[in-house]
Amino acid sequence: MSEHTTTGMVTVTIDDVTASVPKGTLVIEAARQLGVMIPHFCYHPKLAPDANCRMCLVEIEKMPRLQTSCSTQVTEGMVVRSSVPTVKQARKSVLDFILANHPLDCPVCDQGGRCDLQDFSHEYTASGTKFVELKRVFQKEYFSPVIETQMNRCVQCLRCVRYCDEVMDVRALAPAGRGTLTKIKSFGVHELDCEFCGGCVQICPVGAITSRLSMYEFRPWMLKRTESTCGYCGDGCQMTFQAKDNDLIEVNSTLGVGRNNGDLCSRGYFGYHANVHEDRLQSPMIRCDGELVEVPWEEALAVVAEKLTAIKSANGADAIGGLIASRCTNEDLYLFQKFMRVVIGTNQLDSSARYGHMNGIHALQRVQGTHRWSMSFDDLLSANAILTVGTNLTETNPITALKVKEAVKRRGAELITVEALEPAIGTISNIALLSTHHLPLAPDQFASGTIGLLKAVIQENLVDAELVAHAKDYIDAIKKQVDAISWTDIEARTGLTAEIFQDSAKVFTRAERAVILVGQGVLRSQGGYGMTLNLMDLLVLTGKLNRIGCGLAPLAEENNDQGSVEMGAVSELLPGGKDCRSREAQQSLEAAWGCSLPSGEEGTLMDMLGKAKRGILKAMIIVGENPIGSLPPDSGIEDAIGKLEFLVCQELFLTDTAKRADVIFPACSYAEKDGTFTSTEGHTQAVRKAIEPLGESRPDWEILSALSVMMDHPLEYESVKAIGKEMRDLMPGTRTLGPSPLPPRPCLDTLTQYLQEGYQDTLATRYCLPGMKATHTFVLNVGQSIFHSGKFSTRAKGLIQIQSQGVLSMHPEDAERLGLACGDGVCLENQLGQVKTTVKLSDRIPCGVLFFPEHFDQDIQRLFAVSVDNDTHVPYFKCAHVEVSKAS
Amino acid sequence: MTFYELAMGMKVTLRHLLHYRPITLQYPHEKRLLPENYRGMLALLRYDDGTEKCVGCDLCEAVCPSRVIRVISAEVPNEPIKRYAKEYDMDMTRCLFCGLCVQACPVDALGMTREYEWAVYNKRNLHLNKEQLLAIGDRSFPNREKRLEFQHPNVAFFNLPFPGQPLKESQTLT
Ligand code: SF4
Ligand code: SF4
Ligand code: SF4
Ligand code: SF4
Ligand code: SF4
Ligand code: FES
Repeated sequence: MSEHTTTGMVTVTIDDVTASVPKGTLVIEAARQLGVMIPHFCYHPKLAPDANCRMCLVEIEKMPRLQTSCSTQVTEGMVVRSSVPTVKQARKSVLDFILANHPLDCPVCDQGGRCDLQDFSHEYTASGTKFVELKRVFQKEYFSPVIETQMNRCVQCLRCVRYCDEVMDVRALAPAGRGTLTKIKSFGVHELDCEFCGGCVQICPVGAITSRLSMYEFRPWMLKRTESTCGYCGDGCQMTFQAKDNDLIEVNSTLGVGRNNGDLCSRGYFGYHANVHEDRLQSPMIRCDGELVEVPWEEALAVVAEKLTAIKSANGADAIGGLIASRCTNEDLYLFQKFMRVVIGTNQLDSSARYGHMNGIHALQRVQGTHRWSMSFDDLLSANAILTVGTNLTETNPITALKVKEAVKRRGAELITVEALEPAIGTISNIALLSTHHLPLAPDQFASGTIGLLKAVIQENLVDAELVAHAKDYIDAIKKQVDAISWTDIEARTGLTAEIFQDSAKVFTRAERAVILVGQGVLRSQGGYGMTLNLMDLLVLTGKLNRIGCGLAPLAEENNDQGSVEMGAVSELLPGGKDCRSREAQQSLEAAWGCSLPSGEEGTLMDMLGKAKRGILKAMIIVGENPIGSLPPDSGIEDAIGKLEFLVCQELFLTDTAKRADVIFPACSYAEKDGTFTSTEGHTQAVRKAIEPLGESRPDWEILSALSVMMDHPLEYESVKAIGKEMRDLMPGTRTLGPSPLPPRPCLDTLTQYLQEGYQDTLATRYCLPGMKATHTFVLNVGQSIFHSGKFSTRAKGLIQIQSQGVLSMHPEDAERLGLACGDGVCLENQLGQVKTTVKLSDRIPCGVLFFPEHFDQDIQRLFAVSVDNDTHVPYFKCAHVEVSKAS
Repeated sequence: MTFYELAMGMKVTLRHLLHYRPITLQYPHEKRLLPENYRGMLALLRYDDGTEKCVGCDLCEAVCPSRVIRVISAEVPNEPIKRYAKEYDMDMTRCLFCGLCVQACPVDALGMTREYEWAVYNKRNLHLNKEQLLAIGDRSFPNREKRLEFQHPNVAFFNLPFPGQPLKESQTLT
């Protein structure tokens, strides 16, 4: 375990087997390593020892009485016996005491068949019990919509409570009562309201806490296990789909597997039903007289092939554009961009990584020449200082948040949070509570906060001495910029004084290993690229960019944002993250593919929409993405899609965009296909087929491959493995790399180039403070909620039970000023329009800020204007200034 | 020696010739007396108030060596948390009449009747659903047990509905 010092080894003998284990190992862990299973309830490798259940008693030589092996550390020469009669007798009596109060629920208990208590009882209490008393009975209480408790079955090991406290930092559970009458309750008088990570369900050794979603639907032995990767956020959790009769029954995670190491978030644990939703498209459809009608595959493919060929020969290849969702597998993404570049012959293609992740990628490429983090999750754990900027970590990337929590709570890292968060205790965890330096900012002022930190670094002379010797011009240029900005201006925008910036900058600079996490608040908001570059400057100035264990990590919102960049499914990058204008990269790809690459200009999402509006772009192939749902009306998206002559969608559901399509191909969800996802860390992980494709749906790559054959330019692969092999030959980094991939190191040539002149061209625009809102207005921010991911998760019945609609969060002080109470209707207004919604009070967000979950933003999108980044073409539309009034 | 054995054999033959007692039964005009523990057609049973005993635990399905049984369990409609078999099928073409399912059942919901006249023209008629199996139980076991919760205080809270709880299905928003 991590906390124990591992200086040296000790020799220990357990049941006559001698071995040497690291000093500080617990006896129960040493025994497991030697293949001796000591029964236990309250012990869990993730939790600090509590030694409350007494199940793990063993005999240790030279110690009086039996000892709990879960809390005793091994010492040199220790001799442990776990199978002597006294130990067996002890186990029997512990079980006797538990069973004296345990109900005879096994036949109706969902844990039956994988229950520790059942297993141990079988093994150690073959005969009956001496107890004749009546069993304790708890009144059944309602617990929560997705988590069910049966306290009669509880063995009071407190694993659930400890997990929720120690690992999740949510503190939603508490034991109430004493002795055998202890029961686990949600904290407070109301029903459970927490992060719904499902951790307590998974960690309960018996059936006292179970999932209501899968209740009574299975027995463990009926389930078919498939190890796969979560398809919601970029953290890339490893999880196990449990399927029965081609239906997903539940999801588990395994300790020691993947970066999540057995943890999941609500989306991963309760969100699997989105894949098998009854609204899934199950047959190809084409538009006939304005109506979508179901047709056989052959017919739909023929129509598309014919139409695309016709448009290509009449208007040129650049009249066709492609857009793909970053939720697709790497294989789908790779084949998509190959299809667009080779079969269609255009560079007009983009993926949903464009909505923000591209900002991080471009910043990394420009300064350090990599398209991946130059650090890993392990570095996050061993960091001395962590700076998070605009991440809202708990809600967007919950597993990354767990790493930060562990780094802070167990390893004493210092945490600087530049977030639109207030340190308030709430129903979900809040990293602002853990931070040593908290800089609460409005979501439109992260740029001011970043500049404040840089100004403090320059002013306090924290610049790395080596850099001063090498890159004087660069430092002077930045100094000139920050000197022109006064602390008064920064304070006016952030409400924070120079001291806190200076303190934070000192902490950050002092740290041996420092990590910057950049979230959607930066990447998806106005000036995101400039802000990310400024944060890179912070690393460069403090001399950390090239240091092992340090780095900047842009966090991906969608599961395969990173993959879509690496696969070249964005117009400016070829597979492997190579610049598409580089002749060298083009030549090597042309050699590998045996054909020439298109020479036309690149077209990113917003370029394509502009061209569609002007009638230049005639047709689009949209795979899994729903731009009408994602982009606000201000972008003119409806107009652009409406003007297209021909629209093909490959979709799971009839989305707003698919409703406009001329042809729809039904695609498989990721539970029905093989492939790989690349996590935000740049870790390529396997996705495996858990159930057969629903209806006639097919994997995206198969559809594109079939289409390419019909367009006389076959891209044929016998299976997804063949695509994977081609990808890996082209890009060695996309191999599935095992548990702990080595991150790339920054490229020194690129860095030198950046320090000499690369920094210059955008310097003036990124070192300037954003405008201020008028005092009577609010900053309205749409962003991710912890219970959803994009619009896909709103089809998951479990997540909809947890959160079924969007409500506007407002700070209680603001609400009081406006005379609003929780649940009141409010009217939001700005120059773009007016929207009515409901308000809820939350002291989690700062005063003057409003937050709305983006998953339910269909109406509220009207208030957002779209602006496009000049350098990275990222559309920004997550923040708006609005006036609020009480709805009549 | 040989003669002695022949004589003994002939003695038996002669005895049967004189005291004629037929062994062949003239089925179906004559029927055989069945032993008490005869393992015939399977049936699902009810409690004395007419409710089904089966709680849908799937143990009979798990124990059956020839995969006769298929149980789909669910929450009882309108009785939150209570478990039952929403569907219960037996494919009697495969049954060995080993009785393992009866032994496995934790609530004695299965019984072996003394029915055996189940010859059919169409094999499909041997696929029995829950209603058919309950009907067999109804005609074969007229004496029924009282409900589990009245048998012993320690099972008084086994598989009961909890009216305050929302139903699993009703929680599924559309
Ligand atoms: S918790 Fe285990 S022992 Fe208790 S009723 Fe459930 S399966 Fe049986
Ligand atoms: S599901 Fe809720 S109560 Fe259970 S561990 Fe997670 S946050 Fe805590
Ligand atoms: S509910 Fe489960 S994990 Fe929690 S104390 Fe009871 S037995 Fe332990
Ligand atoms: S949504 Fe993200 S954090 Fe949650 S389980 Fe999936 S990959 Fe993990
Ligand atoms: S073992 Fe008994 S209670 Fe369980 S499913 Fe079979 S018949 Fe029903
Ligand atoms: S496992 Fe050691 S006391 Fe519970």
